[in-house]
Amino acid sequence: MIGRWIVGIAFFLSASPRYRHSKKFFHNLLENPSYPYKKFFDYTMMILIVISVYILVHHVKYEVKPDWLFFNNYVISVIFLIEYLLRLWVYSDNSKAIIEQYEHDLFLQRPFKVLTVLHHIVLTKSKFIFSPSAIIDLLAIMPFFHEMRLLRVFILFRVFKLFRYTKSLQQFVSILSSKKFEFLTLGMFAGVIITVSSVLIYVMEANNPDSPINTLFEAVYWSVVTIFTVGYGDFVPVTSEGRMVAMVIIVAGIAVIAFSTSIVVSAFTEKLDEIKEDKLIDDVSKVDQFYLVCGYTPLAAQVAHRFLKTGKQVIIIETNHKKVAEAQKEGFLALNYNPASLHSYHAIRINFETQVIAAILLEESDVLNVYTALTIREISKNVQLLSILHHHENRRKLSLAGINEIVYTQELIGLMSKEVSGRPVAFEVIHALRSENSGVFIEEIVLDSIMANQFFETTKLTMFHKRLIVLGVYKQSSKSFFFNPSNSLLVEEGDVAIVVGTRSLIDEFKSLMRRKKRR
Amino acid sequence: MNYHSAIVFGFNEYAKQIALQIAPEYPSFAVFVMNESERSAAKAAGFEAALFDLGEDWRVIDEKFDPNSLIVFCALDKDAENVFLTISLRSIFENLPIIALAGDHESAAKMKSAGANKVMATQQITANIITEMLEKPTVTEVLHDILYEQSFLKIAQITVPEKCFLVGKHLHEIDWGEEFDILVLAIVDHQLSATFSFTSKGHHHHIDPNDVLVVVGYDDSIAALSEAMGVVK
Repeated sequence: MIGRWIVGIAFFLSASPRYRHSKKFFHNLLENPSYPYKKFFDYTMMILIVISVYILVHHVKYEVKPDWLFFNNYVISVIFLIEYLLRLWVYSDNSKAIIEQYEHDLFLQRPFKVLTVLHHIVLTKSKFIFSPSAIIDLLAIMPFFHEMRLLRVFILFRVFKLFRYTKSLQQFVSILSSKKFEFLTLGMFAGVIITVSSVLIYVMEANNPDSPINTLFEAVYWSVVTIFTVGYGDFVPVTSEGRMVAMVIIVAGIAVIAFSTSIVVSAFTEKLDEIKEDKLIDDVSKVDQFYLVCGYTPLAAQVAHRFLKTGKQVIIIETNHKKVAEAQKEGFLALNYNPASLHSYHAIRINFETQVIAAILLEESDVLNVYTALTIREISKNVQLLSILHHHENRRKLSLAGINEIVYTQELIGLMSKEVSGRPVAFEVIHALRSENSGVFIEEIVLDSIMANQFFETTKLTMFHKRLIVLGVYKQSSKSFFFNPSNSLLVEEGDVAIVVGTRSLIDEFKSLMRRKKRR
Repeated sequence: MNYHSAIVFGFNEYAKQIALQIAPEYPSFAVFVMNESERSAAKAAGFEAALFDLGEDWRVIDEKFDPNSLIVFCALDKDAENVFLTISLRSIFENLPIIALAGDHESAAKMKSAGANKVMATQQITANIITEMLEKPTVTEVLHDILYEQSFLKIAQITVPEKCFLVGKHLHEIDWGEEFDILVLAIVDHQLSATFSFTSKGHHHHIDPNDVLVVVGYDDSIAALSEAMGVVK
């Protein structure tokens, strides 16, 4: 009977979109570092922790207003409790476990084993409960009972709780934890030295009336202070035998410090590349929109430079680590991943739908570009793909791979050669406009409804008339270009005006088209 | 300047495309290659190619072409070879128009120093086109149509004749769009000079005989303006 209820509830929850949506939302909020709202949640929690620690520290010697105490004891602690319970909830999927067990038992034609599944659920949840971060979370809730003096020590756990929300602190702990074995060995070495020296110093000094070391605790205290090279000087050996022990422990102390320093340094050195890569991936996830360049070639460097010059962001993905280093030296955001592998894009956490303006495939062979295009198309059907074509006969293959724009440089150069030999000046003029180095630009302005209404009126203003060249208007409705348009042309929202002029004149033109309407 | 002959040096993918585009434009056209494999590639594409090496004294050019109406394209595989070819041609033919291909900026500067009249830096051109296609797709489409397609809209350069009605006038005195349905993009003093100035940067230029106007307009409008200016075809 109970089993049937449990299975029924599990199926209900599993089928409920609202329940799944809520769980996914909280999972993202608490555990998914790429979720955009997680950082706001983390910052809020960090602020609460800082406020709470401040109140508790301040309260040690001074009076705190009752409202603040209430806020700290109840509001903050309750928020922490809710957070703890939410983390416990999202840690595993109970309904999925119940359904799996039910279907398993059904398949084997045996009764549903409620106890087995409950045991499994408790086991899974206890993994969370006994994890170090969950223990800190739980203990951090304790200042709720701050009236009890002993429990004030739990304030420490609120500080520790900061680790959960600070990635660099998490990294620090993870780096040190990669050297567990070394730290254990060091700890055992230090432990043996401390134990032996404590016993020895106690034996040598305890019976001497001039010696300040009279108890075993004082002996241990002296050993710890000495081995870690602090040496307060409040307890010192006075007998020759005791001083002999001190000399040995001082030498051992240097070894302990040197050993621990080298462990920390080597841990950081080994993880340095990983840390840098994590930082780069983090930087990429923070970029709102960018061009993704696949393959770092001299052409890719030129393309990236041009985009950066116009204020656009570029991310480069390249398999060869030497080329990645070159790209980074040039100041580009470059990642050492294979652009043709799905795994790369999952690892980098690129969102093709929202972040990538277009992917530019500039590998040194058509084969690689086709393979990369198919990989990207598997992730996103909509992202714009542009590829360089190396051999004319492969054009169709690139099209079939879903590439939207194909650039065949050789053909382009052929066309330009005709131009440069027939109309050299015209070629120079167009080339200068395209390279944007002459101070005069050719720009396209997508007209919104306000701009479309004011278009002709603005072109007639003295400052633009005869100075800003309106080459024409591209009509979206008819997909045709109207050269040197007259007032009789109906300019509508979405149409594109092509103008030639200096940057400041074009910017002024755009701004005046929009400003006039508001008057 | 009207040329009657053209030579393409090399027969890689770039040279092939250049040859395919310009061969129909010239009554006399030749391909010079450095090895047999290029020669056969040229033959497969329908061109008879002659062999040459970089130590040539180029008497063959004097014998077969008129250097005063010849234009050459240096499109060898390596930039260093192209520089050497350019400098060796320039050492013999002082006024020969040489158009050379370069991979990057560095080589382009060397080609200029070697005496090339125009250098097409392939990487820079491709990078410009790629960024333009993505950032200004409509501009790319319109410019492509104007430059390379058989559309009625054309870009042209018109040299101002001695007795033209424009001589002595300022550019800004004329409403080119209204009067002639053309737009003047730039003006230059001498045809092969690179010193043109964009009209958008200022209209104070005084029109003199032999100035060159770079205009965009429909075939008919350009023809009408040329006729009004007294340009002899």
